[in-house]
Amino acid sequence: MTTVPNSPNEFDCKAIQAAQIVEGVVGTGWATDAAGKFVYVTPSILSLIGMTLDEFNFPSEGQPSGLKRIIHPDDQDGAIETWRRCLQTGEHYNSEHRVLRADGSHGWSRSSGKPLRDSQGHILAWYGTIIDGDVPSAADVRFTSSPSATLEKKAAPDIPHSLNLVHPDDRTEAAHAAARAFWTGVSQVTRYRQLQADGSYRWTETRTEPGYRVSVDIDDLVTEREPPAEKVEQPAEDEAEAIRSARVIESIFGNGWAFDAEGRWIHLHPFAQNSLGVTLEYLNASLEEGYTAWKRLVHPDDYDQIASIWRHCLETGDHFNVEFRFRRANGIYVWARTAARPVRDNEGRITGWFGIALDNDVYKKTVEALRERERGLQQLIDTVPALIWTTTPDGTPTYVNKRFTDVTGAKLEDITAPDNSPSLNVIHAADVDAARQAITHSFATGEPYVQRYRQLRADGGYHWTETRAEPLRDEDGTIIQWYGVCVDIDDLVLAQKALQQSERRYRDLFHYMPIGLTQIDAGKLIPLFEELRDQGVTDLEAYIDEHPGFLSRAVEALEVEEVNQHIVEMFGAKNAEEMRGPIARYWQPSMATIRRSIEARYRGVEVFQEETKVAQMDGSVIDVLFKTARPGAVADKSLVGFVDITERKKAEEALRERERFLWQLVETLPAMIDCAAPDGEPVYRSRQLREYLGYDLDELDGKQKPRLTGTLDAGVHPDDVAGVKEHYAHSLATGEPYARKHRLRRFDGEYRWVETRAAAMRNAEGAIVQWNVICLDIDGEVRAQENLRLAQERLARAGQAATLAELSASIAHEVNQPLAAVVANSHACQRWLSADPPNMERARKTVERITRDANSVAEVVSRIRALFKQSSETRVRTSIASVIAEAREVMAEEASRRRVHLEIDVDDDLPTIMLDRVQIQQVLVNLIRNGMDAMSSDAGVERIVDIRTRHTDNVIRTEVSDHGPGVEFSDNIFEPFFTTKEDGMGMGLAICRSIVEAHGGRLWVERNEPRGAKFIFTLPIEVDRAP
Amino acid sequence: MTNSDHIVFVIDDDVRIQEALGELLASHGIHFVIFGSAGSYITADKPDVPSCLILDIELPDINGLDLQRQIANGGHPPIVFITGHGDIPSSVRAIKRGAVDFLTKPFSDTDLMAAIHTAIAQDRQQRSLRAELDLLRRRYDRLTPREREVLPLVVSGLLNKQAAAELGISEVMLQIHRRNVMQKMAAASLADLVRIAERLEIPVTHSRRAGGRS
Repeated sequence: MTTVPNSPNEFDCKAIQAAQIVEGVVGTGWATDAAGKFVYVTPSILSLIGMTLDEFNFPSEGQPSGLKRIIHPDDQDGAIETWRRCLQTGEHYNSEHRVLRADGSHGWSRSSGKPLRDSQGHILAWYGTIIDGDVPSAADVRFTSSPSATLEKKAAPDIPHSLNLVHPDDRTEAAHAAARAFWTGVSQVTRYRQLQADGSYRWTETRTEPGYRVSVDIDDLVTEREPPAEKVEQPAEDEAEAIRSARVIESIFGNGWAFDAEGRWIHLHPFAQNSLGVTLEYLNASLEEGYTAWKRLVHPDDYDQIASIWRHCLETGDHFNVEFRFRRANGIYVWARTAARPVRDNEGRITGWFGIALDNDVYKKTVEALRERERGLQQLIDTVPALIWTTTPDGTPTYVNKRFTDVTGAKLEDITAPDNSPSLNVIHAADVDAARQAITHSFATGEPYVQRYRQLRADGGYHWTETRAEPLRDEDGTIIQWYGVCVDIDDLVLAQKALQQSERRYRDLFHYMPIGLTQIDAGKLIPLFEELRDQGVTDLEAYIDEHPGFLSRAVEALEVEEVNQHIVEMFGAKNAEEMRGPIARYWQPSMATIRRSIEARYRGVEVFQEETKVAQMDGSVIDVLFKTARPGAVADKSLVGFVDITERKKAEEALRERERFLWQLVETLPAMIDCAAPDGEPVYRSRQLREYLGYDLDELDGKQKPRLTGTLDAGVHPDDVAGVKEHYAHSLATGEPYARKHRLRRFDGEYRWVETRAAAMRNAEGAIVQWNVICLDIDGEVRAQENLRLAQERLARAGQAATLAELSASIAHEVNQPLAAVVANSHACQRWLSADPPNMERARKTVERITRDANSVAEVVSRIRALFKQSSETRVRTSIASVIAEAREVMAEEASRRRVHLEIDVDDDLPTIMLDRVQIQQVLVNLIRNGMDAMSSDAGVERIVDIRTRHTDNVIRTEVSDHGPGVEFSDNIFEPFFTTKEDGMGMGLAICRSIVEAHGGRLWVERNEPRGAKFIFTLPIEVDRAP
Repeated sequence: MTNSDHIVFVIDDDVRIQEALGELLASHGIHFVIFGSAGSYITADKPDVPSCLILDIELPDINGLDLQRQIANGGHPPIVFITGHGDIPSSVRAIKRGAVDFLTKPFSDTDLMAAIHTAIAQDRQQRSLRAELDLLRRRYDRLTPREREVLPLVVSGLLNKQAAAELGISEVMLQIHRRNVMQKMAAASLADLVRIAERLEIPVTHSRRAGGRS
């Protein structure tokens, strides 16, 4: 490291100047002294990080230095380390790192620097730039991290090996360019002659980018054999400033050019003049024609725009920065990016322009070529019929191919867990644990990973997949990446499984079927059969009849080969082994069956089946269903099944027993039972019914009537038969239960009341299969019920009589209400009239009300009369004695309570008469009660009510007499509402008289001797009217 | 011309009776209010003047006799029953429970008016008795607990000495209490106090007329 003691400022200035030139073209620039202290940094960078230059070098306490501020933290150490090394060695500084951008993000940039040396080669100062953007762009990150890029990058240092293809004269320059490109990271365009396959050399323009090179054949461009050698000289003082500037940037970027202030070409690298096939004079000639100096270089389509911008720049001094196509000597247009800046003198006047053309045509083509290549690879990867993925060494998924996503529906992010481990969520839940264990093991050990599991499909289903992964290692054996591939083996696995399952199913079937299965080896029987056939025996049955010994030979020839679990249990064997061997021991109970089976086999019958008995291991006999099958395919084997039907046999027996029991039950039940077909035809009659009817089921058959009609006509009472037929037909048609009471003729000709009920018996489908009929003799009940009903009716009517008092109360209310209103209104009316002065208005109103209410009284009375005006329909021929007896019963309780003795004296030979029993009872009750009432207040009298009935002439005369005070107003007492009682309403006798008169009799009162009243009523005897 | 220092309430569900009774009462210049049911009578605001209740036995919501029993403790006006068909047991029950009369429909003007006047007079008297009793109660409320202990002993006829011994106080103190009781109850004499105690239904705790404890 050389430090320059004298006038460092001067060197710094030179470095700053150089930096500013670079800045002018590239946008950023920096300069340091020889020790690396920054003497210049593009102001925009300083303002971005808010630092002065001093602070950039020497940050305040605790603050990062300017470099650290602008370089991404992850890249700082590497960049600064490189920079320190360059300061010591004088190597070109070149570093790729992320740099802080104006928007606050970090972007990839390439920083390069170069020492400024004196003639002795001592480093005086440094200058450099930061080139933003191009370098690993976002799109390239993936590219560079992909394996192919890695490989190419690794191959880059090998460039010198290809130098032997370069013409010996050009090798130094080519090597230099390659090295410079490599070390500085700045693309270098070099031209050299390249050895061709035929041994000749052709001129080639090669653009060298760090990491790859693209060469373009330019042999036909090179018009001069020898490009004019350019001497690297110290810039002369008098050389135009613009040219000097152009040379500076040439020293960094390769191509430079300069214009004078008027836009006339004054410098173009001679090599460029060669490759473009132009001279400065040729280019400037267009100025004479009124065009700009670009006219003869730029594609005609681009010229107008370029010219306009260029004129504007010349006028204003604005930076010139354009992209255009320019023509090469071979007439081909290529793309280039061109930038130019003005050079100004001390007064700020523009003295000239310098610029650079970056040939981005080659670059563009290169990038395109690479992208194409990458696309090809990508397509290759995507079209490989496998799912491909990569992960970092520690397992973070980094890539899945398109097919992976298409097939599983999972993208890279889907298979990456939040902690960057593989989420494995495309793996079936049942398999994921094993897979996780295996892959974790592989990541930890580097052992290849092979795993079969069910993998998610985009449609939500799972397919069996075999996944293999292997690590990619670098030269040191360190794992760089894992590559995995998933292959769908679903069909294979499913087929395997199906096969396994099928086998297993049949094995399971054999072993676990709940029937006994054995495989019989008939290998020894076959020769016996062949023997017989050779003898021409066709009928084995007949043969065995003749040769009984053959049967035992044949049976001995059959051996149990295989048995299932169930048959071991069925035969009570300890294990399968015990059961193997000749079958004869099992067949002792039924040699006939095995004989038939063997005969069938001889006839070639494949399947033979019979219910039979076999002996268990201990000799006990069980019922079995025996079935043997001898498929033709395995002639010497037969499969024999045994189903234990002991239980079924028992059940059948039990069922028969139960049926017998039920039959007897039905036969002996003390009820008449009948069963009929769905159409009603009787099919069965129980003993009871047969005995009742006195004939059997089929006895009435054959009389041109169906059995049902015949039975009904013969048995059912003529009055009932129509109803029975109708209802029974209805039930038969609808299936509704039938129930009816009717009279049925007994064998002795007596019709007795029976209740017949029938219900349909249905099968599982609901169809009627039979009618079950029960017929109960209810004659006794019916008659008892009839008697009961009559008694109840009488009682009810008697009850009505007893409630006559309540009826009276109701009538009283009906009548007394309007009556009370009449009275009160009358009084009021009287008062209005007698007032002083009389209130005629109100009096008139009250009179109106009186009229109204009085009318309603009259209406009530007529209603009551109508109530008792009896029609003769309710009259029946009745003995008056029974009516009196009932009345006595009704009054008995009241009489005893009131200590009144009722004496009844009724003639024995009274004829029956037509009367309304209830009404006459009412009359009697009313008269008796009146009698009792009459005596209630008189303590001294004999409390007796006499009821006496006599037959006189053509009437029956009934007297009811009491020993009370007697009747005072004998004429009035029968008028309605006449009463002598404090709580009476005066209706009783009126009603009684209407009743008696309605019966054609009379009711009157006489004095009773020695005291009391005697009420007498007569009822006519109308012999003629009786039916 | 109606006399509003007393009022007659009528409860009858029959509109004809309502009209007729109203007309009759109006013709006698009697202030009245008619109700169609017991419920509307009970819930109605009724003027606080001597009154009489003409009550039909057969009401739609309640039997008149039951209503009588229900309102028996409420200081209700005397009742004159009217009925379409009176039976003896009902009338006896009604009268026993304090009904003024029991009229069977149809009833005469005279009977009804007599019953109404009797009832009004009775109510007037009851009201004044109630007012008097209220006064006595208020006076009694002013007695101290000790005086309330003294009062029953005194009206039971115990001698001062006996009463004092009963309460465990001196005879002099008893006399002071007794004087205070007489004053506060505004009793002119011991006999008067005894009558007041009866009115207030103060239980006679000591029936001993004389003689010491045994």
